Amino acid sequence: MDGAVRAAAIEVSGVRKAYGEPPSVTVALDDVSLAVAAGSFVSLIGPSGCGKSTLLRLAAGLEAPDHGTVRVHGVAPREAAAAKLIGLVPQSPALLPWLSVLKNVTLPRKVNQGAGKRRARFGDLGAGRPPADPMDLLRRVGLGDVAHKLPAELSGGMAQRAAIVRALGLRPDVLLMDEPFSALDELTRESLQGQLLDLWGELKTTVLFVTHSIAEAVRMSDVVVVMGSPGRVLDSVPIGLPRPRDPGLLGDPRFHGYEDQVRVSLRHAWSATDDA
Amino acid sequence: MTRSERVSPRRPVAARGLRPAMWLPLVVMLVVLGAAWTWGAQRFPYLLPPLRGVGATLTGSPAYYLKNAGVTLEEALGGLAIGFVAAFAVGVLISELPVARRAVLPVAVVLNVTPIVAIAPTLVVAFGFGPAPKIVITALICFFPILINTATGLRSVPPQILQVYQSIAASRLEVLAYLRVPSALPFIFAALRIAFPLSVTGAVVAELTAAGSAAGLGTVISNASSMNQLAVVYAAILVLAVMGTLLLLLVTIIERRALRWHDSSAQS
Repeated sequence: MDGAVRAAAIEVSGVRKAYGEPPSVTVALDDVSLAVAAGSFVSLIGPSGCGKSTLLRLAAGLEAPDHGTVRVHGVAPREAAAAKLIGLVPQSPALLPWLSVLKNVTLPRKVNQGAGKRRARFGDLGAGRPPADPMDLLRRVGLGDVAHKLPAELSGGMAQRAAIVRALGLRPDVLLMDEPFSALDELTRESLQGQLLDLWGELKTTVLFVTHSIAEAVRMSDVVVVMGSPGRVLDSVPIGLPRPRDPGLLGDPRFHGYEDQVRVSLRHAWSATDDA
Repeated sequence: MTRSERVSPRRPVAARGLRPAMWLPLVVMLVVLGAAWTWGAQRFPYLLPPLRGVGATLTGSPAYYLKNAGVTLEEALGGLAIGFVAAFAVGVLISELPVARRAVLPVAVVLNVTPIVAIAPTLVVAFGFGPAPKIVITALICFFPILINTATGLRSVPPQILQVYQSIAASRLEVLAYLRVPSALPFIFAALRIAFPLSVTGAVVAELTAAGSAAGLGTVISNASSMNQLAVVYAAILVLAVMGTLLLLLVTIIERRALRWHDSSAQS
């Protein structure tokens, strides 16, 4: 329906979210507005407690804002969740310890089977969607050999890849990732970044990605959104680096230029925190 | 892909052969206990019967002990089954409905600290001398540990797992069936390891306190002690000990099969 202008996949406008009762109210988000274009990779970066994860939970429909609206493909996040438009990758892999990797990855298909009809109403949201074969996805990220093992037998990196495949197996139109690589060592992290970029390049889903790492944000994103406390969007840095972005790019001077740009914005975020 | 990731090796199952270090301590312990018993039986003949006497009555009338053991076992397992079904149902209810939890839990706690056996005589009046009052008491005694563990286990699903399934709008029933009940299994088995032996205790205590019982090992003990047949009393106690051990063994075997994924079952 929209040929020239692609609609925003995630639209956050004037959102406020606070926790607790007066007098000890913690403001997690204060008048936050944000638009994530369909098919783009957007990172949220900022100091701890700046509300990045809260914003992600609002987009996933896990919580509701106090003021303002959140829209995912034009509808409330809960409706989007009911149509299985959303894939969530939490900080920990959150795999079920009694199911094999393959069964962990396929269980989301078994639940909420009415989602197919609800999703059809949204029409084509960007990409043609052949059903993703979970075994194929697992093989693609190097988990083919461990598909029938239990999560306890996996390393941290393998478990996190299984969590990503679980989310991607549903072919979500919006992928929400909450610091998915923060618990991994540097090399594992870089290899998983590459694998995620490959899969994303193919599936062309919209990604909202929360991270603490400047390098990770710059490497992955089309746009890096810098947030500061208490719960504000301070800056939005478009990353004009070509894709595909190989690890070699990490030494590129342009890469460092973007890193510095994000770092300067983050410093403002920190000083804003100090002032508060 | 980096080499830093590799499959962590499974903890090797200890090859528990028939090494003397494994069985010798127990054999020594049994010999010491047997010697102490024999000495005690000679010193205090009104407290302990000679082991030979216990063995003689067991081998002399095995059918008698088996029949009464069967009665007690039926009461124990019947009560346990009823207690389990009730506790599981209430556990699901109070884990799904906070209102129900606030209403039920205090009552259940009071029920737990109440000496249930004290109501046995009234139950006999209500249900007669057959197995019914014993089953009721056993069910009541087993109810609480199963209820608490079921409710705790159903709520033990890590929040991040719940969020993943919430983000695809899994229904409450799906969350219960696919996430909560499997998560609760280790907790439920822990409760059953307590409840199985407890059910035997419950049945025996009910037989002892319910005057005029017809059968069961508790009744055997009660009748034999009133006639000062110490060997029969201890023979019945021995049978009960064996019964409790076998039940515990049964739960452990089922638990190992059902919870292969669970760490605690691999360790113990």
